[in-house]
Amino acid sequence: MYFTQHFWELLFQGIRLGSLYALIAIGYTMVYGVLQLINFAHSEVFMSGALGGVFMLTALAGTNGNIPSGFSAFEYTALALIAGAVVSAAVAFSLERVAYRPLRKRHAPKLVYLITAIGASIFLYNLAGKLFGRNNLQVPESFHSGPVFVLPGTGPSGPRTVKTLDVLIIVTAFVMMVVLDLVINRTKLGSGIRAVAQDAETAQLMGVDVGKVISRTFIIGGLLAGVGGVLYAMFHAVSYTMGFIPGIKAFTAAVLGGIGNVRGAMLGGLLLGIVESFSQGIIPNGLEWVDVVSFVVLVVVLLIRPTGILGERTGRAA
Amino acid sequence: MRTINRVRAGAVIAAGVFALSACAGSSTKSGGGSSSSSTGSGSSTSAANNGKPTLEIGVQGPLSGANQALGLNIDWGVKLAVQQENAKGDLPFNLAVKEADDQGLQNNGADEANLLIQDPKVMGVVGPAFSGPTAAAGALYSTANLVAISPSATAPKLTASGFKTFYRVVANDNIQGKAAADYMAKSLKAGNVFVVDDKSQYGQGLSTAIIAQLKVDGVTVETDSAQAGTQDYSQLASKVASSGAKAMYYAGYYADGGVFAKALKSAGYTGTMMSGDGSKDPNFITTAGKDAAEGWQFTCACLDAGTNPKYAAFVSAYKQLANAEPGTYSIEGYDAANTIISVLKGLNTASPTRAAVAGAVGTVDYQGLSKEVKFTSTGDISTTAVYVYQIKSGVITLLGDVNTLVGGS
Amino acid sequence: MSTTSISELSAQVRRLRKQDAWWKNPMLGRLAIIEALVLVLSILTNQVQGSSSDYTLLFKSSWFSSRGAEYVIGGVLIWIIAEAWRIQGLRRLAGQTVDVAGRRIAIILPRSFTRQYARLTAFIRWLIPNRWFRRVLLLAVVAVAIFLPYLGLFTLPYFQSVLAGQVGVYVLAALGLNVVVGWAGLLDLGYIAFFAIGAYTTAILSGKLPVGADGNPEAHPPIHLNLFFAFPIAVVLTMTAGLILGAPTLRLRGDYLAIVTLGFHEIVLQLAKNNPHNLTNGPLGATGISTFRFNLFDVHYDWNPTDSKPYWFLAIGLILIVVFAFRRLEHSKVGRTWTAIREDEVAAAASGVPTVKYKLMAFMIGASTSGFAGVLATAKITAITPDNFPLQLSIFVLAYVIFGGMGSLIGVIVGASLMTFLPFFLQGPPSWFNSGKPVVDPKDIPMWVGAVLLTMMIFRPQGLIPSKRRAQELAQAEHGVGDADAMTEPAEGVAP
Repeated sequence: MYFTQHFWELLFQGIRLGSLYALIAIGYTMVYGVLQLINFAHSEVFMSGALGGVFMLTALAGTNGNIPSGFSAFEYTALALIAGAVVSAAVAFSLERVAYRPLRKRHAPKLVYLITAIGASIFLYNLAGKLFGRNNLQVPESFHSGPVFVLPGTGPSGPRTVKTLDVLIIVTAFVMMVVLDLVINRTKLGSGIRAVAQDAETAQLMGVDVGKVISRTFIIGGLLAGVGGVLYAMFHAVSYTMGFIPGIKAFTAAVLGGIGNVRGAMLGGLLLGIVESFSQGIIPNGLEWVDVVSFVVLVVVLLIRPTGILGERTGRAA
Repeated sequence: MRTINRVRAGAVIAAGVFALSACAGSSTKSGGGSSSSSTGSGSSTSAANNGKPTLEIGVQGPLSGANQALGLNIDWGVKLAVQQENAKGDLPFNLAVKEADDQGLQNNGADEANLLIQDPKVMGVVGPAFSGPTAAAGALYSTANLVAISPSATAPKLTASGFKTFYRVVANDNIQGKAAADYMAKSLKAGNVFVVDDKSQYGQGLSTAIIAQLKVDGVTVETDSAQAGTQDYSQLASKVASSGAKAMYYAGYYADGGVFAKALKSAGYTGTMMSGDGSKDPNFITTAGKDAAEGWQFTCACLDAGTNPKYAAFVSAYKQLANAEPGTYSIEGYDAANTIISVLKGLNTASPTRAAVAGAVGTVDYQGLSKEVKFTSTGDISTTAVYVYQIKSGVITLLGDVNTLVGGS
Repeated sequence: MSTTSISELSAQVRRLRKQDAWWKNPMLGRLAIIEALVLVLSILTNQVQGSSSDYTLLFKSSWFSSRGAEYVIGGVLIWIIAEAWRIQGLRRLAGQTVDVAGRRIAIILPRSFTRQYARLTAFIRWLIPNRWFRRVLLLAVVAVAIFLPYLGLFTLPYFQSVLAGQVGVYVLAALGLNVVVGWAGLLDLGYIAFFAIGAYTTAILSGKLPVGADGNPEAHPPIHLNLFFAFPIAVVLTMTAGLILGAPTLRLRGDYLAIVTLGFHEIVLQLAKNNPHNLTNGPLGATGISTFRFNLFDVHYDWNPTDSKPYWFLAIGLILIVVFAFRRLEHSKVGRTWTAIREDEVAAAASGVPTVKYKLMAFMIGASTSGFAGVLATAKITAITPDNFPLQLSIFVLAYVIFGGMGSLIGVIVGASLMTFLPFFLQGPPSWFNSGKPVVDPKDIPMWVGAVLLTMMIFRPQGLIPSKRRAQELAQAEHGVGDADAMTEPAEGVAP
């Protein structure tokens, strides 16, 4: 049977996609934690990270895609990841400053935040299209080849191998998530974020600078999304509309794990990736039904646990 | 205090708007910067004030929204044709481009058709680009006697819907599908073909035609579809790889086809990878990367041999105008516009009527860049030759006519 | 502190400023903000489009060029004017000569005029709540709406087509969504799914779907109804769909409901694309759907897609019926229950309101209105593909509702009309406006729509014409009392 034959491969591909979803989902969930806002513009933060990474790669390598002399492959990639993270964080930060802070001062209802986010999202991706053209951008080729290890089971042309890029995606995503978990649980900023997520007013009374915490939350979410964007760029394609679908998926993942809960977002992302991958292995012509399956899974999970797998709240579950 | 603040803010905003509009006004006058490379809504494509009246060629297609890239390819092609004609200046009028953005959506097809119809200066339309809006707009163009030459709407039944003034310079799905299937079955001698479509109107139409002909040719067919925007093609790619199919056909556009090519490469598929005119685009290589795009073949009912000096001139002029390489349907857009221009030239009057233009287009015989433009009575292009291209070391090169390739093997 | 006069205070401020670093001077900060805005505007209004092969192109052309210089200088000019104005204002503040607008008017204008002005405002204040005046006004507005295709720019076929195919359809849809979002306070991001169900119902009833075996058009089933019958059938079907979606999920709180409804839209879309049992003909859809016919007692009338006016009359008729019904609903027991649920679901449940039942009711009413709009739209387009119902459309309709002022029928109508009309107007204005040329490049219109939405929400979060009750709730929320929608209750309150 197809599924049992390809189990390890499916699992691996699920984890690879899922870790990308998780990186984006964390941004959704953290912003939701502190503002109770579905930040629709987060998909554009993600997109801008991919753009930043591509610009860095292009600037270093030119369009021929060779790693420039004097750089190791590791440094080259690291620079792109950093560039993506910085650009995304800057976009997320200014988004908060320009769009959400005035609303927060007026205690606007959540729906207004939502529409503001939607407006910002429409504006930003169309602006990116105007600035950098509407075709797919060229991603310099650096990590397409080079098997790292071999998966159990064999394909038609020999054993299934895992490429450098795949390992890079998973390792980077996991390192980022572990670091974030430490930041949330072990640092002062982390406890500030948790305090604001639990009760912003009380936190303010206890001396937490809520405005600062919120803008730093946006920055952290942006950093992760930017890294996710660059990784996604190497694995998929870069264009101004690239954010929408991963954004929706990551939002689904965040809700699946329990929105507002950082570990939930990580779990939800991985789970969603694996569900998508497995449904392709189990159902004939499964790719057509991927979205249907993942949303049905979401509904079932929400019916059993109405606040997601790990429950809500950054503060409580962390 | 509050009142003062508001009054002040209002006045400042008013002053700002005023100052900026003054800026904008002066900048259009001075035309500084790189405005030579800009083309705003047909304003700069219209030639200098030489006393001639201005007529327009409409463009209906997705100029914004998800399928924008394809619409823009056509739009720039038309603008280039108009710019070149204006530069020649041998018509008794100036030409301009009027854009109508239907976003590729059926909902907007009729509205945008009306926008072009109500403008009496519009003498012909290049478009609608997509089959969906064409179905909604065809009857309107017929009623208004306005000729609409689509560079890209390939659904076979459009020309059977009784739209009197609808023509297309691109072969419909059935012709390309049949040729592609014959090529794979007879020339590549693939006994087993995997067909993937992108769940778009174009992709599904093409794949249906291919599958039908492959079955006629006695080929085992496996199918799957991955809708545009699929996040992870690797599973589909390994399915294709493990199917042992000797050839794989992707019916869809390059934006996703390129990503699929990446995944196929990494899954280690060794058969022949093919796609259609929707993917035959330099951007396919940009998206997939040179490594993964190498060896892909494309069927296309268009002939743009790189050896033709006219073609090279077109590419460089296009690049200068659009700041981009010509893409899918750019040449078709250019040819469609030139067909209308040649008809207008034939009428040789400063005030042609739409009915005269529509009548003349039906009998036109114009040698375009990609093909000879000549229509059947239903409005389909009469040349049905389909060519095969292949990416060789990062360049799309011509392999030959399907008929000769099939016959010669 | 309380005895310090304003002049003293500002002197203190000035002294403090002098001690601070020069770059912390707020004056320079304002310059930076203005310049940043101006530079962004220089890009937004630039006709040049960027390129995938030269990323710096647009920056070069809008900043490092004469255009950029003009904009920067313009920004400085604005800043100088603003600062001068500001200093003058401060001086007046320091001199305690603050006066209200009325007094300044009194200084500028002769006394007799101000008396007239006062009388006029008093009259208006009397007139507006007057019942008869309101009725006449309403009638006039309705009459204008009905005869709109004969007025001004709407005599142009383009605007007629936009009016019937976009404005009418989306106003109808937004009205239905207003029940769900504005009144019951449920966040629905998959509203267009019901629209699609209505549309496919229409296509199937018209006999164009399902396409017969091997695409043979003769082989389709013998259903071929007058499309007016599609309305009741679509209503029944969409209500059932609303029930199927709502019954299990309406227990979920705001944001969870949002993602589930979004998923529902995606599922409906996928079903239409994947074409089980060959019901929808997949991505190819159907064309040549017959449209409305009126055939009763010797009166025959056929709607014809080449003329948009009759579709508008039909749309306005439906809108009037829906508005009338919804107005009754708003002030009925049901409407008040929705308000209770929206403002405090826990309290409503505690007072014995069966909240799920009422939420379900709102959901079904919204869904059926969406189905109505779907029938109307499909009959106008006379063709159908799944691409007609993208996910973004659901989000857009929600934006129309909030933009107009959720909860207020007039607000929603105005908001949806403006937002649907604006992009088309910008693209092809009539000849008297901007001499018929597009106001902005069509490629940039979505960007401007996003910008309008964003600015509007930042500066007027209550929407264009908010309902009285909503405005009150918002004002309360601004002062930290109560909630403005049913989405902010803590999870512990509702979830088990």
